Amino acid sequence: MSVSASTDAMKSTVTPSSDRRVGDETFITMLVACVAVGLFVVASLAVPNFFQPLTMLNLVTNNWAVISLGVGVTFLLVSGNFDLSVGGIVALSGVLAVWFAQATGGVNALSTGFGFPTWLAIVCALCGALAIGALNALFVVRFKVPSIIVTLGTMLVARGIAQVITQGSQRNTNLPADFGVLGNLTMFGTSVKLPVIGMAILLAVAVFIERKTVFGRLTYWIGANPVAARLSGIDNAWHVTKLYLFSAGVAGMVGILLASEFKSGFSNRGTLMEFDALVIALLGGVAIAGGFGSVIGMFFGALILGVVTTAATGLVLSPDWQFTLKAIAVFLAVTTQTWALARRHR
Amino acid sequence: MTAQPTPVLQVEGLTKDFPGVRAVDDVSFSIERSTIHCLVGENGAGKSTLVKMLTGALRPTSGTMTVSGAPYEPHNPNDARRGGIATLFQELHVVDQLTVQENLTLGMERSRFGFLVSSDLDDRVVGTLAAIEPSIDPSARVSSLSVAQKQIVEIARAASSGASVIIMDEPTAALSEREVERLFAVIRRLRETDVTVIYISHKLDEIFELGDAVTVLRDGRHIATRPLSQVAGPPELIEMMIGRAVLQNYTPRTTVSEETVLTADGLTNDLLKDVSFHIKRGEVVGFYGLVGAGKTEIARALFAADKVAGSIEFNGRPVGRSPKDAIRSGIALVPEERRTQGLFTSLSVRRNISVMNTRKLSSSGVFRSADEKAAAIEYVRKLSIATDSIEKYAEKLSGGNQQKVVLAKCLFADADLLLLDEPTRGVDVGAKTEIYDIIRRLADSGTSVAVFSSELEEVLGICDRIFLLVSGSLAEEVKNGPDADAAHILNVVTGGERRAAP
Amino acid sequence: MSNAHTSATTTFGDRAARFARNYYIYFVLVAVVALLSLANLDRFDLFERGNFLNPNNIINILRVSAPLLTLAGAFTLLMVSGYIDLSVGSAMSLSAVVYALLAINGTPFLAAFLITMVVGAGLGSINGFLVVRLKITPVIATLITLSLFKGVALLLVEDGVSAIKSGGGLKMPSWFNDYGREGVLLSLPAAFWVAVLVTAVLVIAQNRTLLGKYAAATGGNPTAAKLSGINTGKVVFLLYVIVGVTAALAGIARSSFMSLGDPLSGDGMELTAILVVLLGGTAFSGGEGRVLRSFIGALIIMALTVGMLTLVPAYYQTLVLGTALLAAAASNHLVSRKEAGS
Repeated sequence: MSVSASTDAMKSTVTPSSDRRVGDETFITMLVACVAVGLFVVASLAVPNFFQPLTMLNLVTNNWAVISLGVGVTFLLVSGNFDLSVGGIVALSGVLAVWFAQATGGVNALSTGFGFPTWLAIVCALCGALAIGALNALFVVRFKVPSIIVTLGTMLVARGIAQVITQGSQRNTNLPADFGVLGNLTMFGTSVKLPVIGMAILLAVAVFIERKTVFGRLTYWIGANPVAARLSGIDNAWHVTKLYLFSAGVAGMVGILLASEFKSGFSNRGTLMEFDALVIALLGGVAIAGGFGSVIGMFFGALILGVVTTAATGLVLSPDWQFTLKAIAVFLAVTTQTWALARRHR
Repeated sequence: MTAQPTPVLQVEGLTKDFPGVRAVDDVSFSIERSTIHCLVGENGAGKSTLVKMLTGALRPTSGTMTVSGAPYEPHNPNDARRGGIATLFQELHVVDQLTVQENLTLGMERSRFGFLVSSDLDDRVVGTLAAIEPSIDPSARVSSLSVAQKQIVEIARAASSGASVIIMDEPTAALSEREVERLFAVIRRLRETDVTVIYISHKLDEIFELGDAVTVLRDGRHIATRPLSQVAGPPELIEMMIGRAVLQNYTPRTTVSEETVLTADGLTNDLLKDVSFHIKRGEVVGFYGLVGAGKTEIARALFAADKVAGSIEFNGRPVGRSPKDAIRSGIALVPEERRTQGLFTSLSVRRNISVMNTRKLSSSGVFRSADEKAAAIEYVRKLSIATDSIEKYAEKLSGGNQQKVVLAKCLFADADLLLLDEPTRGVDVGAKTEIYDIIRRLADSGTSVAVFSSELEEVLGICDRIFLLVSGSLAEEVKNGPDADAAHILNVVTGGERRAAP
Repeated sequence: MSNAHTSATTTFGDRAARFARNYYIYFVLVAVVALLSLANLDRFDLFERGNFLNPNNIINILRVSAPLLTLAGAFTLLMVSGYIDLSVGSAMSLSAVVYALLAINGTPFLAAFLITMVVGAGLGSINGFLVVRLKITPVIATLITLSLFKGVALLLVEDGVSAIKSGGGLKMPSWFNDYGREGVLLSLPAAFWVAVLVTAVLVIAQNRTLLGKYAAATGGNPTAAKLSGINTGKVVFLLYVIVGVTAALAGIARSSFMSLGDPLSGDGMELTAILVVLLGGTAFSGGEGRVLRSFIGALIIMALTVGMLTLVPAYYQTLVLGTALLAAAASNHLVSRKEAGS
């Protein structure tokens, strides 16, 4: 078929148009978006009290942390790498921020910190998060250890450090008054908090980076074909390093905002968040083989998960259903996307 | 004639059509039992398609095959093995982590309730191995063996699996001279044990040293099957392979300047031996040699993709330490393997073309979409890439158009020196001519081009100077022109005329 | 090409390297035990002992090790074939819950035991189906089942209760504890001896059966395996089923030891299993790895975790586990690079 196409084209000079039909990525994103809307409609009809403006808003606001983490995870998946360390980093950076901000000379070890001003504590906590990102990059890029194993390891290391600092529980005393400002600041006279706005800005920036910038494009090139990327003059190692630092930085910020919101550094915060971030990326059509997927898709993936879990709660299913529902959702997403793309290419 | 035994393999009217191309055209010949039968032909003569049909990787469009008189219709390599035909592919199919003996019995083990039981099989395979190469310890782990020894293990496995025919596809490409001798001894001993070997090689000296009979293919057709004793020597074989005088539409070009742009001095690595040359501005040079002669190694060394000893200066400066540096200093490479090394198959044509020169299309890291589209459309037109949209996935283009996309990618880098490694491999005839035109136009506009090719017609058609490579050394430099002697060139690179490496 | 001319003869250095690779794990075990015995434990009195080498302490460690020891061998074989199972922890939890449910509802020991094993085989075959038939990447497929098995385990336990245990009219039978705690031989419980038995069977399977050989071939060179007529899909499926069965046995051991069916009891087991297997020298690229070495690796990790409890507070454990995982991965990389380069 391909040869006949080329001979035809040679006879009649075809003017290549710029864009006639949607690409696979847009197709999958639209598919995911349709599923999200479809599920929302079904849930509105089937679940009592589901269809309310507040529900829609909550779908996003309740999930700001996971969606933010999903941005870094999506970029890394597109480059062909896993990042399962983000949940651990959320715990670590939150604990670090609290520890640095706690005043010196508390009544016991858990209430004694470094007495840094809040801004400095935040900077130091971010540095801690970035250090874990650097560790990921070191093992994946330098030692060529599979990213899934590396980031499982650093997930434990990050959470482990958090547990050591908090002695297995949490630090929440002796904090400066301004520590809780960032996470609880409401915006524009509504109940929308600063972290949600931060997530929206992050999403917008990420979409811009992914679509319009060289940095975003490098990610796709590396994920689509690392060998060709190197032979086209791309420094794969350095780019993947930057992606791990970016993901760790986002996770660090999420951890700090959560610590601020709850005015505590809790060593078990963010448990399974790395899993949820991966789940929403997969639901959103990001391919773990690399080179395929989008942040927008990930966002709709998050909405799907949100609708499903909210509807389940609305139907008075026990919260224990969430794991089973997630498993079924990811299974359906992975198989239907493979199926849809195969049909489309036939 | 009546006393002749049944041939071990007989091929009748075998034809294979690909869309638009007939790769193998009505080929008939037969191979005698317990002989070493050589299969020769230029690249694209249909050898590999024929072998794929013999091993079951491809089904013939028409025609029949019989093995020892019985019809033979393999659907996959396992069928072929059951039918008595085993193949030694260029990539090794041994399991490094198992021992030699475990590899020899792999897939043939005797077992009871899933437990391995010792049987005569073990004695037999060890015996076969000892008969053809006694120096290999059956209890050694395969990972501790050399490439040549692994190859022999594979041969022993094929022989002890009861194969009556073993196909060997360029088995000496990765071997040193001493190892080649050892392999030949093994092949001769195989013949004594009643195994027929189909030996595919471009190295004519090997064919004359080893073979009993030879079959020549050209342009998909069968030219001759003859005992080698009835072939006068390499020149006659070469004549059968080329047939007519090599198509030469080369006209000496006047635009080559005297200015040297690239000087390579003493390039040496695992394979290359002290290779030195220079390339002038606007010149098209060819590097011609067999598989394993060092073409790709030179290309990758010039592109700084692999480390190499010696010095490379481009426009008076060292090239750098990575492809990134090479591209920055004005060198671009069209790599050997289009799909795995050159193309982003899952991305659109537009996204493929911009990769080597993002600076040209972006301001402070942000793409200028209009410029990117314009550039993609410009290059699609310039190289007449047959696609209805620049958003089409590279995967969906034909081989020739994919290659043009890779070429476009490199041209877009605005390189002063283009390295083209097998630029027309797997490309249809029309696209081939177009690619040659592009190369000439480029050279006329002052770009230097180095073509690394194993097709003689290609280098004779477009190159101003041709470097002949023989196992990692530069054997000779030929100035192209009407009097360039194709037979002599073939003789040099196929080792028909062994000369001391310079 | 550097090794093109080396013959089968080996130098002293090669032999020393091979010896080190084959036996280092035993040195590590001895070193860990020696270090823990030297440490001053007077200040701690967690398991009523004064010294790490106290028989009671050793028995205790081996008792709690049973689940991991049961799992390590099968997990090794699966990784040798080039595949991975992230759902082992959840499969273990689900099996623990099923076993406890059966027991508390009056099923006799042997029946409950066998039914749970069948359930484990079923869980393994779900993984096998997703990976082999539906061709979903092993990591994703087993992440899906990780979530699924855990979800089902949680659903099997009534709302408002954290685990299957005595109460509300139902009572755990008196034998429930015996399997994981009651010493039957050398004061060690049946669960431990089952782990030893499973490992012995798998050692034999690795060395003496088609399955062991085909697992190595599938992981070492899948193309060669297929060209030799090996049904690699069947091999992988079977290995997933075996991992499922050992996960069930591990779940039974854990459940019996804790006298309850906890739907979270296997959480994180996949990480420990990966750690143990990497520590035993199994290559993550497949083809390489030994059941027995992973068993020793599991002993090291258990000695370390239990021993550490006596030296530092429990909240150091996650950090130590993560560091060990990274160290094992890095050393694994260094070894394989050395071999490729030699």
